[in-house]
Amino acid sequence: MAVKDLPIVGDSFKLGYRLQRYWDTPMASAFFFGELGAGLFFVSLLLESAQGMMAGLLITGLLKTYFHLSHMGVPTKSWRAILRPDRSWISRGLIGIVCFIGFGGLHLLNVMGYIPGFGGLLKLLAGAAALVVMTYQGFAMSHSTAISLWNSGLIPVSSLTYSATAGVMVLLASVPESAQFLIPVALILHLVVAAVLLSLLHAARHGSPGARKSAELLTRTLYAKWFFVLVCGAGVLLPVLLLWFAGNVPLMAMIAATGTLAGYYTFRLLIFKAGVFEPIMSFRP
Amino acid sequence: MARYGMVFDLKRCIGCNACVIGCKQENSLPDGVFFTRTLSEEYGVYPAVNRVYIPTLCNHCEDAPCEKVCPSGATYTRPDGIVMVDPDKCIGCGSCAVACPYDQRSEMKAEAFKDGLFGTGEITPFEKQGYPRYTPGMVTKCDFCSGRVDAGLDPACVVTCPTDARIFGDLDDPNSKPSKLIRERGGRPPLPEKNTRPKVYYID
Amino acid sequence: MAATPDAVHNSIKPGRWVRSTCKMCLHSCTNIIHVTDDGVINKVEGDPTNPSNRGKLCPKGNSAIMRHYDPNRFTQPLKRTNPEKGPNIDPKWVPISWDEALTLVADKLKDCLQTDPRRIIPSLEDFQKMNIWVWPLAFGNFNFFQSGGTMCGGAYHPINGYVHSAFAAANDAKYCNYWLNDGTGDGFSSHLHAAAQSAWVADARVKRGMRCVTVEPRFSISAAKSEEWVPIRPATDRQFALSMCHVMVNEGLCDYKSLCKDTNAPYLVGDDGYFIRNAEGKIYVWDSADNRAKLWDDPTIGEFALEGAWTVEGKACKPAFQRFKDILADCSPEAMEKVTTIPPATVRRIAKEMYDAAGIAADTTIEIDGRVMPLRPAAYNYYRGAQGHKLGFQTNHAFKMVNFLLGCIDAPGGHIGVTLDDQWVDHSHIEPGENGMIKPNPHQLGPVPPFAYPPQTFHLMDYFPVGVHPPHLNLEVFLNPEKYGLEFRPDTMIVCHSNPIWAMQGPREKWFEFMRSMKFIAVSDLIPTETTQWADVILPSNDVFETWNMTMIEPPHTEGMCMRQPAVEPLYDTKSEEEIFSELAERIGVLDSYNEVLNFALGFVQKPELKLEPGIKYTDKEIARRKGLLWNDKDLDWYVEHGHAVTERRLDKWYRPWEGMRLHFYIEDMVKVRDDLRAKMDAANVPFRDEWAWEDYQPLPTARLDPVHNEPAEYDLYGIFFKDIQLNFGESLSNPWIQDIVYRDPVHIALMLNPATAEKQGLKALDIVKVESPYGKIFGRIGISEGWHPDTLGVSNSLSRAKTQSKGIKHAGGHFNDLLPYDLKNTDGVTGQPETVCKVKITKLQEWPDHLKKGGSVYDLVDEIAKPGKGRKH
Repeated sequence: MAVKDLPIVGDSFKLGYRLQRYWDTPMASAFFFGELGAGLFFVSLLLESAQGMMAGLLITGLLKTYFHLSHMGVPTKSWRAILRPDRSWISRGLIGIVCFIGFGGLHLLNVMGYIPGFGGLLKLLAGAAALVVMTYQGFAMSHSTAISLWNSGLIPVSSLTYSATAGVMVLLASVPESAQFLIPVALILHLVVAAVLLSLLHAARHGSPGARKSAELLTRTLYAKWFFVLVCGAGVLLPVLLLWFAGNVPLMAMIAATGTLAGYYTFRLLIFKAGVFEPIMSFRP
Repeated sequence: MARYGMVFDLKRCIGCNACVIGCKQENSLPDGVFFTRTLSEEYGVYPAVNRVYIPTLCNHCEDAPCEKVCPSGATYTRPDGIVMVDPDKCIGCGSCAVACPYDQRSEMKAEAFKDGLFGTGEITPFEKQGYPRYTPGMVTKCDFCSGRVDAGLDPACVVTCPTDARIFGDLDDPNSKPSKLIRERGGRPPLPEKNTRPKVYYID
Repeated sequence: MAATPDAVHNSIKPGRWVRSTCKMCLHSCTNIIHVTDDGVINKVEGDPTNPSNRGKLCPKGNSAIMRHYDPNRFTQPLKRTNPEKGPNIDPKWVPISWDEALTLVADKLKDCLQTDPRRIIPSLEDFQKMNIWVWPLAFGNFNFFQSGGTMCGGAYHPINGYVHSAFAAANDAKYCNYWLNDGTGDGFSSHLHAAAQSAWVADARVKRGMRCVTVEPRFSISAAKSEEWVPIRPATDRQFALSMCHVMVNEGLCDYKSLCKDTNAPYLVGDDGYFIRNAEGKIYVWDSADNRAKLWDDPTIGEFALEGAWTVEGKACKPAFQRFKDILADCSPEAMEKVTTIPPATVRRIAKEMYDAAGIAADTTIEIDGRVMPLRPAAYNYYRGAQGHKLGFQTNHAFKMVNFLLGCIDAPGGHIGVTLDDQWVDHSHIEPGENGMIKPNPHQLGPVPPFAYPPQTFHLMDYFPVGVHPPHLNLEVFLNPEKYGLEFRPDTMIVCHSNPIWAMQGPREKWFEFMRSMKFIAVSDLIPTETTQWADVILPSNDVFETWNMTMIEPPHTEGMCMRQPAVEPLYDTKSEEEIFSELAERIGVLDSYNEVLNFALGFVQKPELKLEPGIKYTDKEIARRKGLLWNDKDLDWYVEHGHAVTERRLDKWYRPWEGMRLHFYIEDMVKVRDDLRAKMDAANVPFRDEWAWEDYQPLPTARLDPVHNEPAEYDLYGIFFKDIQLNFGESLSNPWIQDIVYRDPVHIALMLNPATAEKQGLKALDIVKVESPYGKIFGRIGISEGWHPDTLGVSNSLSRAKTQSKGIKHAGGHFNDLLPYDLKNTDGVTGQPETVCKVKITKLQEWPDHLKKGGSVYDLVDEIAKPGKGRKH
């Protein structure tokens, strides 16, 4: 079946692939800041950096919320998003965020000495909630068979991995004393990111027609330049090289972190933009 | 209780899109929103050319992924199989839209309601009496003209189709028009591998 | 239909349903209109009780509400205050009262009537209201400036009048098994009652396995649904039909029985083209059983000869069939392939298939309602694309010939004449003529002016005694008035429901000169158009939901009046067309004359109690009431309840209504009319008589090429123009719902080329180009598709609008019709049919010309729609 020969069509009444645009730049930004904040918080929690935790809570609490609300069609009713945790990853995630902000904030207060820690319970809960926020968006994406590029177990893995990596890199760049310890962690995490990207593309290239079309968009056509330069180059190769050769140099660490974040944001954006709906049938031989 | 579905007879469809406009009429759709589209595929090399006209609309899947992912519970399935969207509950998050393998969801943008069908901000009386059924910003879709079905009528697109290419009815009734056509002419649903169990079938 | 108080679906909200008739094209599908309790029209559906469209509506019918609530609608009479006129010049309208508007118009018309009535040039084109169309006859004016019916019907209607004594023709979908469509969309996308006809044809294809073959330069919807597409070079359909006839005639694939009995094919024709007659005027045939000539109705005739040559009454003669066979000698599929590019094997196969499918060998018959008739379920259908050529009369005649040979003319399953408006139920459209033939009836659209020199009409209608009006000749004459001896110049234009500046063929710039030569232009319409742009006064009319009407417009398979009634009060300060024109008639002193014209035109003379009386201005309701009473003696209350009086066509009027008479296989009128016209021109010393196209008058079709094929070689492609069901027979491009579907259809968004052709021309998709013919030019953007004959450039009607005051209309790069000729050389000397194909050449441009760069064009919209991802604002 030559469905692969069908073009990408806009809103024409032509059979073909249609680019997904329901989750667009505002939603990609919401996803980015949500995971960045949670990842930063989680790593900061492990390293007991109060400033990191504070920054993480603010990034998720303010920036993710702002961008997610700006994406919503009916922002005033958006509290309803929490109502179906039995079936919806958005609901589960929102509960996770509430817990994250809540327990995270309480744990922060504990670390800052204002309240007791309940024997490490708050830390545990905050950490767990952060992990949920780091991962749930990936599950929300992979939940349905519609966008084949997203319909992979690697997507939640990519969320977790990227958010952890971003968290590590932000701390590494802002707390020079942590560099010694964090550089090996960062290197490993970037390699995992690379592995996840490769696996995602590999699965897509050998998957359904929709997945193959998405892979083509990312690696050969519309988004290839962005993908290779920013996601792979700035987001993986650059930080790895800088960390390997000059990770202790604060300036280099900052450039590396910027690269990681740029690559991560571009990934979030492109994974949305390259999502396609498959043509529902084809008659060409 | 009926289990409603539809059959598209590709041998009959002439791609006139009367259905598209009949639907826009019936449902007071704002600009840019289509609850149904008739696509075409042209293939072959001159002079051995082919073109097929392919009507599409929400497949009212038995295993509707849009319902599964809806965080507010706005999307629900009626006992008769029609998948509905409650305008009071929808928050416009678009989870349904990215969950539908058939891309049959439509965003009802607030600007569309403000600009009107003529794009000038002059809202016609037709639009005024129809738009209140929607919450601007919601993401919704074809509902098989559920109100008409309740009144014993076929959906608007089915009624207006000049060539009777759209056939609506109870898939659980073996003698209904769609059931017979599926049986006699080998009806097949679109993208069955997406595992949503659509209730719309194509015959040719 | 049950209404639900809290319904969200429009058709079931509380309200009422009004039975009425659609107006989105010129046909008469009936509809039901839903008006809410608040008086808002929120749904229109087809009327399920009408056996014609059976509850269906095409996309145009579905979009009527957006015409009604179009914010661009004229809300009251307007007067121009800007003396400068032009396509992009603001008329600077000021609102005026109806009295002032009508006074302004009436004064100008009165002035003309007092000085020279020929100064008035009308453009009154409401096809559903012949009562408006014939208004100028009230003062004997035959000027004509509307395009409706000329490109599609110039020659089509006269031939249908000769062959079927009917207005139109279509294949019988009820019984046909082999349906050939040549240059038409019947049953798929256009022509007769698209919503109804496509249902009949779909049923025939799916339930009965009817085979469809489409002959067309483009892979149309008809081609897409057919079992076979035969691509053909544009403007060569006549040669294809003649090559089919060649095969049929030379291989014995004809219904000889029908030819001998039902037609004048056996009548003997002399070398001068006239039948061989005795002293009393009776026509001879040759009896091959007795081997001698006999009079056509001699009861002793054993066998009518169709072939042979003899001398009778001292004149060399042959049967008309033989005359045709002689012409066909040069029309073999091999010879015609050079013209049509159709492989000879295809022609031979299709001819054989049609012969076999027609059941001729077995002489299949069918009994319907107790009447036994030949069953000939194979037929050759054709229309606009195939018929619109310089040699229009011969072209249409050639298509009829295939059907004559198949014996399927007006037979069950065959090619059947479709009357326009029967007016009363028992109205038979067949009259006996001379010598056993039916009376020829070419004037299907009303009387034509008598011969006169100097011309009394500006478009030379004085010289087309057989034809339909040729409005494009207004331009030819405007540019050369001395050549044609005009003693008058029209300077007062009155337009109603017509948009000639959009549709007329010939370059727009020259038509603008014509408009500028007008001293006064009054236009009655609903919304701003290319033509209202030039008006001095706007007389806004009621729309389809605000008027009464009663009409029957060429429905295939059904007959009967379709009523329109107002669903709501007029939204604005508008009037019905009847009120406007009866008021004007009274003010200029021709009311009584107008009422008399209507009595004839609308058939009220049949039932004298319905006749319009002098001195009364009849409303749309009163005229509708009379038309209904004329049809079936039912008053308006009956029609308000039923919506229509449509039934299946009465079989005695539908199948072989001429039973026992003979059809005009050979159209002797062509030589009679030609010689009569030539004699009149000679006697009047008409200066252009030597260049008149006398050789166009042929009693049998020939293979002579239309002049379009002989344009200079630099024009290397054939440009053709087309519509589909969203666009046909009306103006719908101002409608946002129609724009929604048209500009998403790959076929309606570019100038289309076959990929091999594009490559040869060095063109790619999306290239901006200038397209030039010997007559004009347009701009556009290329699209590529395999569904095009390689010699063709396809231009959709969707690309035809210009910028107007109606803000929603998307302009493109110029109307295709700018490329078409408007001269006599490209006009059928017989019917006035203009050539509708042109030779073109394409030049690639680096960018759009300045006037198209400003946004808001079709191409800008198409780009927004086609952009992958979100291109449009909504």
